[in-house]
Amino acid sequence: MGDVLGPDFISDLPQSIIESILTQLPIRDAVRTSILSSKWRYKWASMTHLVFDEKCVPLCNDRDGVDKSIVKFITSVLFLHQGPIHKFRITNSYLQSCPEIDQWILFLSRNDIKELVLELEEGEFFRIPSCLFNCKKLTRLELFRCELEPPLTFKGFMCLKSLNLHQVLISPDAIDSIISSCPLLESLSLSYFDSLALTIRAPNLKYLNLEGEFKDICLEDTPLLVELSVAMYMTDDIAEHFEQSSNCNFFKFLGGVPNLEKLVGHIYFTKYLSIGNPGNLPIIYNNLESIELYQVGFEDMNEMLVVLRLITSSPNLKELQISQGSSNMSSATDAPNMDFWAKKCPSDSTLGHLKVVKLTDMCGVPQEMEFIKFLLGCSPVLEIMSIAPCVHDMENEMRMLIELVKFRRASTKAEIVFTRE
Amino acid sequence: MSEIDIEVIKPEMMKPYIWLQTSDGSIQQVEQEIAKFCPLICQEIMQKGMGSSKNCAICLPQQVNPAMLSIVLDYCRFHQLPGRSNKERKSYDEKLIRMDTNRLCELTSAADSLKLRPLVDLTSRALARIIEGKTPEEIRDIFHIPDDLTEEEKLEPLKNITDDPRIRLLNRLYAKKRKELKEREKLKNVNAEERVDERSVDDLLSFINGKESDRKGNKTSKNKKKNRRKKEQQKNSSPKDASELNKEIVEAHGHNTRPASSAAVRIGPTSNLDYTGNGTFIDDVEFDDEDIDDEIDPELKEKIDREVEDFARRLNSNWPERMQDFLSSGQERKTTLFTSDRPGFLSRHA
Repeated sequence: MGDVLGPDFISDLPQSIIESILTQLPIRDAVRTSILSSKWRYKWASMTHLVFDEKCVPLCNDRDGVDKSIVKFITSVLFLHQGPIHKFRITNSYLQSCPEIDQWILFLSRNDIKELVLELEEGEFFRIPSCLFNCKKLTRLELFRCELEPPLTFKGFMCLKSLNLHQVLISPDAIDSIISSCPLLESLSLSYFDSLALTIRAPNLKYLNLEGEFKDICLEDTPLLVELSVAMYMTDDIAEHFEQSSNCNFFKFLGGVPNLEKLVGHIYFTKYLSIGNPGNLPIIYNNLESIELYQVGFEDMNEMLVVLRLITSSPNLKELQISQGSSNMSSATDAPNMDFWAKKCPSDSTLGHLKVVKLTDMCGVPQEMEFIKFLLGCSPVLEIMSIAPCVHDMENEMRMLIELVKFRRASTKAEIVFTRE
Repeated sequence: MSEIDIEVIKPEMMKPYIWLQTSDGSIQQVEQEIAKFCPLICQEIMQKGMGSSKNCAICLPQQVNPAMLSIVLDYCRFHQLPGRSNKERKSYDEKLIRMDTNRLCELTSAADSLKLRPLVDLTSRALARIIEGKTPEEIRDIFHIPDDLTEEEKLEPLKNITDDPRIRLLNRLYAKKRKELKEREKLKNVNAEERVDERSVDDLLSFINGKESDRKGNKTSKNKKKNRRKKEQQKNSSPKDASELNKEIVEAHGHNTRPASSAAVRIGPTSNLDYTGNGTFIDDVEFDDEDIDDEIDPELKEKIDREVEDFARRLNSNWPERMQDFLSSGQERKTTLFTSDRPGFLSRHA
C-alpha cells in the first residue's frame, strides 16, 4: 500500500474537471489512470471524448500487428466504456478498414454520438454502414476516403452543423440531398470529388470549402454565406463543357451571397467565373473585406473583368491578394487593349477601404502594370502594396520598377514593397 | 450615515466595488469590473442584486478560500483588459500555472465553482501535462493518491497497458509471488501438519524464480512438485472436498468464475514453460489463450489443466475454512488414537 504523504486533492475533483483533464491526455494515458487507485478505476470510462490518433498504440515494424492491436484496443475501450460518447475520432494511418469498424459505428449510434471523425489508412475505401444515418444527434461529421450511400428512408441529420467529406465516394444526387436535408448546416467542406455538379441549398450555411473537379456549382440558397473558398481543378473535358455553357457562372455562384466576408479562389476559379455573360445586374458585397485569388490569367480579358467586377462591387474591401497564373505570358494572342482599363474602370471609382494588396508571380507585362496602376490610383487609404515577381530576371524587374515609380498614388501612406526571393 | 443611504438608493450597477465573502468567512472588497469576469459572481450581481454592501456580500463557494480568490482575481484582472496580445496572455498563463500540484488542484476546483471556464481549461491542461507520460507510481507520488487496488484489479485486461509483454509477464509473476508470500505468512501461524503445503509454496517461489534463469533446474523441481502433489492429493481431497473448495474460491471472489479461471490461465503460460520446454516463451508477444493452447497437444493440455486447477485452488483457497478441514480430519485421527486410553477424553469431544 502506498503511504499518503499529503492530502489527495485530485481524486476528489468533480467529474467534469476530471473529464477535462483526461480528454487532454493521450488516450493510453487516460485509460492507464484506472490503476492509480480505487477511486480512479473507472473515472476514464465515462469520458465523452475518445480520440484515437497515430500514437494510440505503440508502433512496431509489423504493420499488421499494429493494425490488429489498434482494433483490439478500440474495441476494448468501447466495451469498458460507460455512458454517452459525444466525440469519437479515429485518425490513424495504420488502421485498415475491417468489419469491427461497423460495430463501433453501431455502438456509437446507440450512445448519442455528436461528433464523428474517421480517417483510416490510405488504401481501400471504407464503406460506411447504414447505422451511421441513425445517429440523430450528429452535429459534426468528417469522413476521409469512405463510401457513403444514404438509405432511401434517410430524412437528414437534423442537428448537423458541420460536414466535411474528403475523397468520399457518393452519388451526386445523394450529396445534394444530404446537404439540403440538414437544416442547421453551417459549415460544408467537400474535397477531391470527381466531376461533380453541385447545387447547394443550405439556408444556414456560413462556411463553404470546395476543392476538386467540379463541373458545375450553383449556390442556390445560401444567403448567410460568410466565407467561401473554392479550388477548381480542371480537366480538358470540363474545360470544354465550360466553353459550351451559356449560363452565367458568376451569377450562379456569387449571385446569392450578399453577406460574403471572405472569398478565396484557387486554380481555375476566376476562369470558371468568367464563363457566361454577367449582364448588368449590380450585386454589391457590402461585407466583403478579403479577396484572395490564385492562378488568375491576366491575359484573359474576361478573367480580368471578373476580378474587376469583384473589386468594384466590394466597397469595404480591405485586403486583396492576387497571384498571376498563366505559364506563358510573353506571347499574348491579341495586342493588349489599353483602352480596356479606361473603359472598364471609371476614373471616379474609389476603393475606399483597401489597405493591403499583395501581388505575386507578376511577370511585368502591360496588363499587370495597368492593373497595378489602377489599384494605386484608386485606393486613398492604401498602406502596403507588395509585389513579388515570378521570374528572377534582373532586366525585367528593372523595367517593372521603372514603370512602378511613375504611377500616381492616391494614398500618401502607400508603401510599395518589391520582394525578390 | 449618508453613505449607506446612497448605497441603498443607487442601483448596484453603478458601484465600482462589490463585496465578496470567502469560505473562511472573511469579507473583502473587489473592483466590480474584475469580479464580474467570473460568471458566478456576475450572475449573483445581475440576477440577485447581491454584493453591493458588506451586509449582502456574495457568498463564494466553499472551494474559494482567500488565497485562491486572490489568484483568480489576478487572472481576471489580467485577462479582462482587451488590449493584451495573444502572446502576452499566453506567457501570463504559463507563469500562472507554475505552482505545486496541490495548489493547482485547489485552483482548478475554485475556478470551476466560479464557473470561470478559461481558467478551468488552463489548469486542467496543466494537470494533464503533469500526468502525461508518467508511470502510475510516479503519478501516485505526485498527487498523493493511495495505492489501494488489489493486485488482481491492477492486472485486469486493458488496465495494465504496458507496452512490453515481458514487463506484463513480470508483473504477473511478481503479483503471484506477493500473494504467495502473504499466504506463507498465514501458514506460519498454523501447526506442523501444514508444513507440506508450505514447502509447496516454497517450491512455487523457486518455480517462479527459476523461470527467469535455468530451465533445467525447473525440470527437477517439477518432478519433486509432482510427487508432493500426488501425496497431497491423497491426503486431502475427496471429490466433495474439492468441489467445496471450488465453491469457496467462487464465493471468496464475489463474482463469477472468471477470476479462478483467469488465475488458472495466467499460470498456464508459466507452467507451459516447464512442460513443453518452450524456449522462446519469454520472447513470445502473444499472451492470448488461443495461442497458448495451440502450442500444447491435447493430452498434455488436460494434464496441465488439472495441475493448473490444483495450483489455483491452492493459491486462492479460503485458508480459514481449509484449516478447519485439516483440524477436523486431524481430530478424527486423534480420537481413534485416544479411544482405548482415555474414554473420558472421547466423551468430552464426542
